[in-house]
Amino acid sequence: MSAKAAIIDDSGPLAFEILPYTGFPQEAATAVMEKVLARAGAAHSKVARFLSTGFGGKAVPHSDGAVPDTVCLQRAVRKLNANVRTVINVGGHSFTVFHIDDTGGLGESAITDMCTAGMGMFLDVVSTALEISPDEMSGELSLSGKPLFIDNQCPIFAESEALSLINEGYDRCDVFAGVTSAVANKIAGLARRLGLKEEVAMVGGVAKNRLVKAILEKNLGIRFADLAGIDPQVVAAYGAALLAREGCSLDSQSLSSTAAERLHREGKP
Amino acid sequence: MLTAGCDIGALTTKAAVIRDGVILGCEVVRSRAKALQSATDVMDKLLGGLGIQYGHIDYCISTGYGRNLVPFAQRNMSEISCHARGAHWLAPSVRTVIDGGGQDCKAIRVDGQGKLSDFRMNTKCAAGTGKALELMARSLGVEVSELGPLSLQAKEPVIMNKPCCILMQIEVKRLVFEGRDRADIAAGANDMVAREIMHLVRDIGQENDIAVTGGVAKNVGLVRCLEKYLGVASVRFSVDTQLIGAIGAAVLAADRCWEAVADRSGDGATR
Repeated sequence: MSAKAAIIDDSGPLAFEILPYTGFPQEAATAVMEKVLARAGAAHSKVARFLSTGFGGKAVPHSDGAVPDTVCLQRAVRKLNANVRTVINVGGHSFTVFHIDDTGGLGESAITDMCTAGMGMFLDVVSTALEISPDEMSGELSLSGKPLFIDNQCPIFAESEALSLINEGYDRCDVFAGVTSAVANKIAGLARRLGLKEEVAMVGGVAKNRLVKAILEKNLGIRFADLAGIDPQVVAAYGAALLAREGCSLDSQSLSSTAAERLHREGKP
Repeated sequence: MLTAGCDIGALTTKAAVIRDGVILGCEVVRSRAKALQSATDVMDKLLGGLGIQYGHIDYCISTGYGRNLVPFAQRNMSEISCHARGAHWLAPSVRTVIDGGGQDCKAIRVDGQGKLSDFRMNTKCAAGTGKALELMARSLGVEVSELGPLSLQAKEPVIMNKPCCILMQIEVKRLVFEGRDRADIAAGANDMVAREIMHLVRDIGQENDIAVTGGVAKNVGLVRCLEKYLGVASVRFSVDTQLIGAIGAAVLAADRCWEAVADRSGDGATR
């Protein structure tokens, strides 16, 4: 749902950029690269190595290679906070939980990729129907005191359910808080199934939603680890930049296949 | 004996009037905000066209989403019973009805008398519904009504594997950008939705003959996909398939009258 880019040099991060898009990933990738280069004040020719990741990672023009997002996240989280052992990643249409072992390697992981329940897309569909902006979504609005119980796991049905609750006169903050807690509970379910090893970090766009984080902390009985203040949405892009600096593009093919083998694929819930 | 059925759906409202086992007329209007307005609209239009006074109708049954909000109907019944009765009345060999609506999908088992005996309905996921077709058609840049004819031109249908309609829509977008043939994508979309519908049919158990009703029946490509998985051709109806619920309601109303005539109490025949 959005394209993210990170530029780093030997001293650390230079610039991050996030660009929401509705069109095609290729166009969004080009646009976000232009923006991040402008922000960093650098020319494209100065970029020594450029890796791509995520849903449209393979489609990014001029990339030196595509790396699975789990590998990028693991690299970035290890750099940001070495104590993290479990990473919960929830983006627009990505939803993974994975372990990082004591040596910093990628451990067990669980993926949901057949159903949007629990993904950011779910919040997006319902918030569009309720005319709630992304800023409101992660701000005060979602912190309603009395969330309504939302029954449906499918965004299409939840959308109708939310709209009929509004038509019945319920407050839209309470309705949206209900939708948000439904998403949080779904995330908690997958995290519990894989098992939690502390410390736990949450990344991806949904990690910006304070209510989701608060419910997860309560539900799982944890406090989320600090990731050095980085925007949780750009962690994968940052990881790709770190891997690019380490020359990972040379063996990204083998990296992709071993990482893919490790991913424990899950069916529809 | 003159009976009427009124089917108030979320999107359209349908009515049918039958006299002594013959359909006198049917009408479809766009649903309005209030179920009562929609029901009044469709009945006024239908009865006005036929030149029938409302008072001449012996029995009226309402069905559909707004069925309990129609004061002029003597009784309301679930659209599942009405679709079962309607499909069986039009084609007595029907034993399984696949009813695909905008946001729901049902596999309905009908007995030899046209009575509903069992059904399965999607409750958790919208993947096998008209909504999924609509989202994919939007990403493909065509009207949902074009999806069927377009898919028939496919040479190598794409194979989709995400059963969630939001993820299906994203996949269609990606395929369009990759430059895949639009007819092939349309065929893949129909096939995906058909596979989702087949879960319900397999769950209830396939018994021939099979009728496909509701809005998705208008998608000729989807019906062909279903027939491929079913291994048999589905029953063809001479009436618009979206009217079958209203016709079924009118038939059930007639059943009800016959029962009263036969002076049998209970609601055995109309349950």
